[in-house]
Amino acid sequence: MKYVFKYLKGYMRESVLGPVFKLLEATFELFVPLIVAEIVDVGIKNGDRGHIVRMALLMVAFGVIGLSCTVAAQYFAAKASVGCTSKLRHALFERIGRLDCTTLDGVGSSTMVTRLTSDMNQVETGLNLTLRLLLRSPFVVFGAAVMAFTIDSHAALVFVATIPLLSVVVFGIMLISMPLYKKVQASLDRVLLASRENLTGVRVLRAFGREEDERAEFDARTGSLFSAQSFVGAISALLNPITYIMINAAAVVLVYVGALRVDAGIIEMGEVIALYNYMSQILVELIKLANLIINITRAVASANRIGAIIDLPVEENGTALPAADSEYAVEFDHVSLRYKNGGADAIYDVSFRVRKGETVGIIGGTGSGKTSLVNLIPAFYPATGGVVSVFGHDVKTLDRAELRRRVAVVPQGAQLFSGSIRDNLLWGDENAGEEALLDAVRVSQSKDVVDSKEGGLDERVERGGVNFSGGQRQRLTIARALVSRADILILDDSSSALDFATDAALRSAIASLSPKPTVFVVSQRTSSIMHADMIVVLDGGVCVGVGTHEELLKRCSVYREIHESQIREGATA
Amino acid sequence: MKNVKNTGKMQNAARRDTSATWRHIFASLRPYAAHVVISVLLSAASVVLMLLIPIKIGSVIDLLLGEGKVDFDAVVPILFLILGMAAATGVATWISGILNNRVAYGITRDLRREVFGHIQTLPLSYIDRHPTGELVSRMIADADRFSDGLLLGFTQLFTGILTIIGTFVFMLTINVWITLAVAVLTPLSIFAAKFISSHTYSMFRRQSETRGEMTAFVEEMVAGQKTVKYFVREDKTLSEFDEINERLTECSVSAIFYSSLTNPATRFINAVVYAAVTLTGALFVIAGGVTPGMLTSLLSYANQFAKPFNEISGVITEFQGALASASRLYSLLDEPAEEKEGERVLADASGDVAFSHVRFSYSPERPLIRDVCIDVKHGQHIALVGPTGCGKTTLINLLLRFYDVTDGKITVDGEDIRGLTRHSLRASYGMVLQDTWIKTGTVRENIKLGHPDATDEEMISAAKAAHADGFIRQLPHGYDTVLGEGGEVLSQGQRQLLSISRIMLSTPPILILDEATSSIDTRTEADISRAFTKMMAGRTAFIVAHRLSTIRGSDLILVMKDGDIIEQGTHSELLARGGFYSHLWESQFAGA
Repeated sequence: MKYVFKYLKGYMRESVLGPVFKLLEATFELFVPLIVAEIVDVGIKNGDRGHIVRMALLMVAFGVIGLSCTVAAQYFAAKASVGCTSKLRHALFERIGRLDCTTLDGVGSSTMVTRLTSDMNQVETGLNLTLRLLLRSPFVVFGAAVMAFTIDSHAALVFVATIPLLSVVVFGIMLISMPLYKKVQASLDRVLLASRENLTGVRVLRAFGREEDERAEFDARTGSLFSAQSFVGAISALLNPITYIMINAAAVVLVYVGALRVDAGIIEMGEVIALYNYMSQILVELIKLANLIINITRAVASANRIGAIIDLPVEENGTALPAADSEYAVEFDHVSLRYKNGGADAIYDVSFRVRKGETVGIIGGTGSGKTSLVNLIPAFYPATGGVVSVFGHDVKTLDRAELRRRVAVVPQGAQLFSGSIRDNLLWGDENAGEEALLDAVRVSQSKDVVDSKEGGLDERVERGGVNFSGGQRQRLTIARALVSRADILILDDSSSALDFATDAALRSAIASLSPKPTVFVVSQRTSSIMHADMIVVLDGGVCVGVGTHEELLKRCSVYREIHESQIREGATA
Repeated sequence: MKNVKNTGKMQNAARRDTSATWRHIFASLRPYAAHVVISVLLSAASVVLMLLIPIKIGSVIDLLLGEGKVDFDAVVPILFLILGMAAATGVATWISGILNNRVAYGITRDLRREVFGHIQTLPLSYIDRHPTGELVSRMIADADRFSDGLLLGFTQLFTGILTIIGTFVFMLTINVWITLAVAVLTPLSIFAAKFISSHTYSMFRRQSETRGEMTAFVEEMVAGQKTVKYFVREDKTLSEFDEINERLTECSVSAIFYSSLTNPATRFINAVVYAAVTLTGALFVIAGGVTPGMLTSLLSYANQFAKPFNEISGVITEFQGALASASRLYSLLDEPAEEKEGERVLADASGDVAFSHVRFSYSPERPLIRDVCIDVKHGQHIALVGPTGCGKTTLINLLLRFYDVTDGKITVDGEDIRGLTRHSLRASYGMVLQDTWIKTGTVRENIKLGHPDATDEEMISAAKAAHADGFIRQLPHGYDTVLGEGGEVLSQGQRQLLSISRIMLSTPPILILDEATSSIDTRTEADISRAFTKMMAGRTAFIVAHRLSTIRGSDLILVMKDGDIIEQGTHSELLARGGFYSHLWESQFAGA
């Protein structure tokens, strides 16, 4: 909530003027029953037609003033609520961009998207309604009571008794039914899940002949949804009848008290009419207020969800710049990594050093820590033990942006963004010229991809790159990384969809780059890394071998096992 | 001319469609007929009582003549009458509300069950052709919209119209001219609301388009946040975001502001109506024929008269949407179920399978399988090889009768599978597909999927045989670990071991195996291949092969291309022939 107030401050004028105009309008509305009383007690009583016409015109004039006040109020409320939400949205998006990877993993992207979209809309609506109605409804309710006092203090006591009673009923029903509606929603989600899974698993379910069991389960779920809905429905259906009975009972008492006072000669008939009219205004406003409170509760929950993300700490940053004259590009010194919620170390006590311009192969089975290892280099995750150095500096002390400009990563699961091929390649370097782009395309073996497209570099890339094949996407993401001409290039299992010939051509093209970058190749295939200057073999996060292909074949049983299983598969073929 | 005729035809069809929908709706409503009738009577009663109360109040007010002139003997009984009427109205409203809920929620439940049950009988061809999201949305969203719009809409419409007529009649009994003034002026507020909403439509469209743009951008960038980080694009992305955000802000302000003018505008018109009633009413009081109490009643009516109009105009749009939802639901229910199954129960099949002159196509103009003949004896292992799209998966669809052959026949143990019950046929197969489907639930429920009555001992020994017991025990809650939505995430290899466990538990005589791909690591792969070998011993097996090394030992290899079996034989026979298979074999070898 604090962020909503923070950004609402920028709209101080609007958020004060909105409610003020709204209250002005309400004030004029409150005078209407008094005018009617005046007409009855003066105009009609004295048969003064001119007085009646004047009073009616006054009512229309009040209507006009009320209309202009509301228009102003709606404008200020819209401006303040939309403006504040817009700033809040900016703040949230900015914060998401500055979170570290550990936090990103923990939060998950789908909930961040929800907070940026539907939660924001909730806040906007809630804020808008709050500015318009939060003050108005109570004002009318209490205003009506105050007006009643100006007419007759005895009769007004009926208001004093009715308002709290009505409030208790209206808000009580709301409070009871709100958590029940949550249960209904949860129950509906279970029905939804059952429907979806029944369709996605249709082959398995039918192969196992589970149709009847599925039906029974679905019937049970829709049955409990029905009971939940009926229960909460019966409670909410109470709201209107109960308040209706109460307000009429109050009106009856009011008229009776009014009758006593008229009989005693204290007030007149028109004033009883006015009292009755005030009573009817109360109910409408109380129900509006109750609905408003539901909206506000939702908006507050949304605002808190948004605030929880903005409150997350930003990624730590250092200030050192990579040294130019360091002999080693990357050094791992007894490095361990344990993810925040991981039970065991993903990387344990790994040490090796890589000279500038060398090519390093990283190999191991699924879950052996290959990706974790390379992610330590651009400091995506902080080492929990030991030191990772790039160009002679502990990465924790380096300026992150500068570090990452020197390290280009081609991640697994080649991801492209919507736009053109050119737009995607420019991610590597915003200022890259045509020549540089074409060079990167050539080296990454994606020339035929670009050539095969009608638009060339300007060919449209759909969201997620769905209009390209897996292999094409992989090559384009490699090109994107090459555009940055970084000193260190990390290929994380990024040639898995390429055939052997293309993979080999890619490797030799990268090797012939000048100046030659330091390259890390992560792979499951020994054929992709056997020519590397140095191979790091990982098994369960532990480095079980460092050396060249030949050395490892002699010394490292894990490497030998991997290599032989792949050779056998190919050779027996 | 021709066009005119066509449109005419289409209109006829649409009309037929609508009347069919209505027939369906009435059929769905029938079990709730009593509820609906009682609810309608109760709401009619409550509307009449509700409208009588202002008149009674008015008549009391007329008795308040002044000091010492109030006739309490007349006042008190009327007040008690009002109290009774209000109580009766309240009770009637509550009961009819409960009845309406029962009808609406009940019909939604019935429809969902009916649709779900019907989906269980629909042929896979229908399910394959329709995206899951679309079918789910029919079952959930359309069912809701149908009951909300049509049933709640109906009651609102009914009470709304009754209120309008009642109000009009009661006002007429008081004074014709004032009634006419109200009747003429009130619809103005509806026109005003219509006018505003039609003029804000384009703003709303722009707002929702920009919102869509924002959502798409945010989804893409947040999902790719790590890539954004890799390339230090945070600032650039933020400025792109700001550009969209600014446009969204701008069009949201106008959309929200202009649309929020509806209320003040209608309120203003109501204020004018109120003033008109006060004026004419007061003048009539002076002229005689109308009492101040009647004026009070008229003012109450004037206040409420606009409300049902506004509600009705909202109801009608919802009504149309609800009708569209209903017709979508009923058209799904009208889809023909799977062709009739046979009656014979296949028990203890030995596992002989034969295809004789099988032809098949998903659509008549594109034949897919042409004249396939295979004869498989009990215990034989058949490998299916060929490029993507050659019809391997189709053969599996036919074996399990997910689809029926267009021509020819498939027999199991010599019986045409169309003569068998689907249940017993499918129970004779065990299927392990590349992408294992996990049902949200515990590991236990997932393994026992095909055999819910199995004991835990049987389940654990099946998991052990499938080499799955080891990793399952390492899960946070072992066999009680929840998988699927919101649960533990398993790797592809682990899921495959789980589906092998399912088969190990139900021990079918025929297996269909879609091999694992290479993305699984060497160790899990070794487990899987050991589990496969164990599972296949003594059973007939159809294996869809992705890598040729694993199928060399098969009794028969079928090489498929474009829906035909172009070669068949054992590994060495096929190599010796030097055809397509040997070419495939070598190309793979050359790759390494």
